[in-house]
Amino acid sequence: MTDGRPILVVDDDPDILSTISDILEFEGYPVEKARNGEEGLKVIDRIRPWLVLLDMRMPVLNGWDFARILKEREINLPILVITAAQDAQRWAQEIGAEGFVAKPFDLADLLFAIERQKGIQGTGPLN
Amino acid sequence: MTADELIQYLSWAIYVVIFVNVTVNAFRRPLPANIDIALYFTAFAVVIALTVITRIGSVPATDPLLGAILISFVLSLAYLLVRLVEDFSKVPRWIKLLSEVSLVVLIISAFVYSPPRPTWLSLLMILHLVGFLIYTIVAFLRESKRSSGVTKRRMAAVAAGSIFLCVDFIVAGFGVALPEEYTTTIQAITDTLGLASAISYYFGFVTPSLLRRAWQEPELRAFLGRAASLPRLPNTTAIIEEMQRGAANAVGAPNARIGLWDDDKKVLRFSLDEVETELAPAMNLTTGRAFLTQKATFTPDIARDNPLYADAAKANNATAILAAPITAGEKRLGVLIAYAPHAPIFADEDLALVQLLADQAAVILESRALIDEAARVRAHEEVALLKDDFLSAAAHDLKTPLTTLVAHTQLLERRALRTPDAPVDLASIQKLGKEVQRLRTLVMELLEAASAEQGKLIGKKEETYIVALAQEICARHHSARHPCLVEAQEPVVGQYDPIRIFQLVENLVENAVKYSPDGGDVRIKLWHDTGCNHLTVTDSGIGISREDLKHVFERFHRGSNVDDRRFAGMGLGLFICRGIAEQHGGTISATSAPGQGSTFHVELPADALREL
Repeated sequence: MTDGRPILVVDDDPDILSTISDILEFEGYPVEKARNGEEGLKVIDRIRPWLVLLDMRMPVLNGWDFARILKEREINLPILVITAAQDAQRWAQEIGAEGFVAKPFDLADLLFAIERQKGIQGTGPLN
Repeated sequence: MTADELIQYLSWAIYVVIFVNVTVNAFRRPLPANIDIALYFTAFAVVIALTVITRIGSVPATDPLLGAILISFVLSLAYLLVRLVEDFSKVPRWIKLLSEVSLVVLIISAFVYSPPRPTWLSLLMILHLVGFLIYTIVAFLRESKRSSGVTKRRMAAVAAGSIFLCVDFIVAGFGVALPEEYTTTIQAITDTLGLASAISYYFGFVTPSLLRRAWQEPELRAFLGRAASLPRLPNTTAIIEEMQRGAANAVGAPNARIGLWDDDKKVLRFSLDEVETELAPAMNLTTGRAFLTQKATFTPDIARDNPLYADAAKANNATAILAAPITAGEKRLGVLIAYAPHAPIFADEDLALVQLLADQAAVILESRALIDEAARVRAHEEVALLKDDFLSAAAHDLKTPLTTLVAHTQLLERRALRTPDAPVDLASIQKLGKEVQRLRTLVMELLEAASAEQGKLIGKKEETYIVALAQEICARHHSARHPCLVEAQEPVVGQYDPIRIFQLVENLVENAVKYSPDGGDVRIKLWHDTGCNHLTVTDSGIGISREDLKHVFERFHRGSNVDDRRFAGMGLGLFICRGIAEQHGGTISATSAPGQGSTFHVELPADALREL
């Protein structure tokens, strides 16, 4: 199970960041927020989330570099790419993410994707 | 056989060859000039025949009748040359009359006075020959100077032949008066002059094709020298005008015109000094005939050929017209025509040259068509690429506020369903309002880009204090990471649309912040000089490459060093900035280098009232 660990949301747009956090918190998920990849890495150093919702186009450290650094540090975290680009799926594959949610998304789609990850984690070898 | 005799026989042989050639040509193409050339050499042939008869001995050289006939034909040479000159230029009536009267009187005298003839008569005869020959030599030289290509050189050769002949007559005439011991010398000189004259006439009248090509080369080379650069001229009209000039120079005609075939309207289109005329090709017109038969053709006399064009021809100082089809493979492109002030004496030469030039024109026009086609394809590709860029940028920018709107609305809905009695979530409503504003701004930006394109950006102008405006913008965007500073020593005022100027400055400041991801100052400087207000926005950001600087104010242009994964944008901001500056009568420019920041400089015309 997720053991009460949070979901990390990384997005440079403060409005989207807060909206996603509000949604997740309303649905009962603990949330950690980061405005770019660098901040995201700092959060991970502090507390290990069970899932990362990752925007790709960000200043300072973008989604690609963020994913690369995680891999370099051998930190294995499931990632859902959340991006406005038409290439959301391709970008998700590029960084080896578990899935993607294209902006603008339906609440139900976002929650479904998260639920699915929870299910996989729940029955996965970790447990 | 002596050397003298050899030279003499050789000259005779050459004259006979010329005679045969020009006679055949006169039958093939019975133009006045060709007939007169044939008559001239017939006279030569008769003189040679009579001389041969006396040589063989069938008639004694001293026979008075034979002598008189021989003299008559020699005298006619000068007259026939005057006739030939008349075929390609104007001969004053009195000269023609004088040549006729002089010829008749002298021929009669030749028969009346049997040898030994009185000295005054011999002198008159020499005067007749030399006088009219000199007149024709001048005419040939003048014509040579005026013509070009093969015709120019042929005319010069004819003039040279006549000069040798003239000197020949002078030497022979005065040689008679000299003592006996000089006879051999005189004979040698006259024979040599005769040979020189024969060779010159041969080059002039029966030009060998090798020589013909060599003589044509300078003009063709001059035309071709410019040909390569012609297809790159800005438009087809400019190309046509250059080709017309080139063709006229090459042919030595005062005017040349190119008519382009319009396949939709089935007409030949001529443009002269920006006036277009259309001509439906018809067989009764030289131009139409050349186009329809696809053969070079000419008309020695436009007025006679088509009286309708008599006045137009006169106005253009044109008597004759030469036309050749411009055709590339199977594709009929048009016609090249050259106007000449008089009928061409060597029509075939001039036609061949006009056709060669028309062929070159076809190559040039086809190259141009290919260049145009390539440019069209390139422009098409660029537009497609631009659309792609724009779509992905617009999609990203519009999706961001949409995402918040959609997700947050649905969140509110969920909350309301689960806890119907909860108080109104004002913060969420404000958030939604903010996102709607953001979306509106983006849509406005798109619409403004369209307005900028159409020059309709500026609204009501009023006295605008730019320093105050810049300070407000600076305050809005100031942060610890990006300190914003305004430098101004004086108030900078102008009659502007304040909303647009605000937008212009804010856009530049936003860019300065956006493209300085590592932080750094944003400096706004304002000053005023004669007639001009200046504003610069300087940052220390990622900068702009030299190549990008050229296009930075173009629509949808984004810098090549701008990682679109980091910097979202439509590439419309600076395009709108330029629109605002230009539509105020001002300019905007940028100086930058990659990694060294950028400075944007806006120059606006200063307030007219303030200047007073």
